[in-house]
Amino acid sequence: MRYLPLPRTAVPVVAVATVVLLAWLGWGSIRYPETFWAPGDVSRYHADVARCVDCHEPFQGPSPVKCLACHSEKRFVLRSKPVVSDLHREVIAQQKTCLACHTEHRGALAQITTNALLNPHGEFIFRVTGTSSCSACHAFGADMVAQPTLLDNDIVSHLFDEGEGAHHRGRMAHCVMCHVGGQ
Amino acid sequence: MTPVARRFLLVAGLVLMAVAGAILFEGFLSLETVLSFGHTRPGHITGWIGLAVILFVFIYPMWKRIRPNRAWPRRWFQVHMAAGVLGPLLIVLHAGAHLHAVVPILAMVSMGIVALSGIIGQAVHYLALRTLNEERRRLVQQGVSPDEADARLHDSVSREETFRVWQLIHAPMTLMFIVLVAVHVVGALFFGGL
Repeated sequence: MRYLPLPRTAVPVVAVATVVLLAWLGWGSIRYPETFWAPGDVSRYHADVARCVDCHEPFQGPSPVKCLACHSEKRFVLRSKPVVSDLHREVIAQQKTCLACHTEHRGALAQITTNALLNPHGEFIFRVTGTSSCSACHAFGADMVAQPTLLDNDIVSHLFDEGEGAHHRGRMAHCVMCHVGGQ
Repeated sequence: MTPVARRFLLVAGLVLMAVAGAILFEGFLSLETVLSFGHTRPGHITGWIGLAVILFVFIYPMWKRIRPNRAWPRRWFQVHMAAGVLGPLLIVLHAGAHLHAVVPILAMVSMGIVALSGIIGQAVHYLALRTLNEERRRLVQQGVSPDEADARLHDSVSREETFRVWQLIHAPMTLMFIVLVAVHVVGALFFGGL
């Protein structure tokens, strides 16, 4: 008994299979780039971004210049609260890049601001309130790590009115402790 | 249980423990980071180190090909085995349990196939082959004809042939692994930056 040499066809077969695989990867990269390359799903905030190069500069990574193509200062002033605009102006003055605080590809429901407060309610809160942002119920100070303040608006009032007295301050953070399985 | 089956279970257990250990360690390292460990700078460096270690694996087959008439390079074979276990484990640490994109998943699967086939080949098939040869030699020395010996050892021969499949997988799959790793690295640099 001895080790037998490989069949002559083994390497050519694998070489052909590799070429076919490469062709498939090329096709998939054009057709479904996120499936083939992304380390995670894009968040719901950027779900409408069509192409990888809308955010990624080839061989330079995610680029603040690309961010500013959509998130211009003019748009910030028009669409954000003054505290949010001021915060970003302050951070840019410190010459921090967007990636110092923001990330992506952590899942459709993930938050994209790092070092910010995690959402203690889970995604359940967005489902039951029909909102898509923490700022629908909370006001945030310039220091994002600070405790958010609860707003006095219809959404918050409605939540407190629901739950037959179970919903009150100090009991709202961990929804899923009572709403097991999202019920 | 035969010695070969015992060896196979031992090797499978050790491989599972090593892979699970690397994944758990990556999970532990990810506790302190917002991103998973593999997407942090230390995670990237771990990937590069893993790749560098894996590259040592290729010295042994290249040495054999370039200098076929020289003595079998035992030392480089030992480097081949050590790097073939350590490198993939570093890559498992680099990837953790966060598999999403098709390209790195395929690179990971091809690496796993190459590494596992190598481990099975060296740790199990070699034992099966040696056991079979010793048994055959013992029977022939007892006066049994070679054909009769082969007939008596039919089950062992079948088992050895099963493990011999590693040869058909190990070297050819390496080609696919190299291509997929190259594609993964180029893609990571393209999207993540140099």
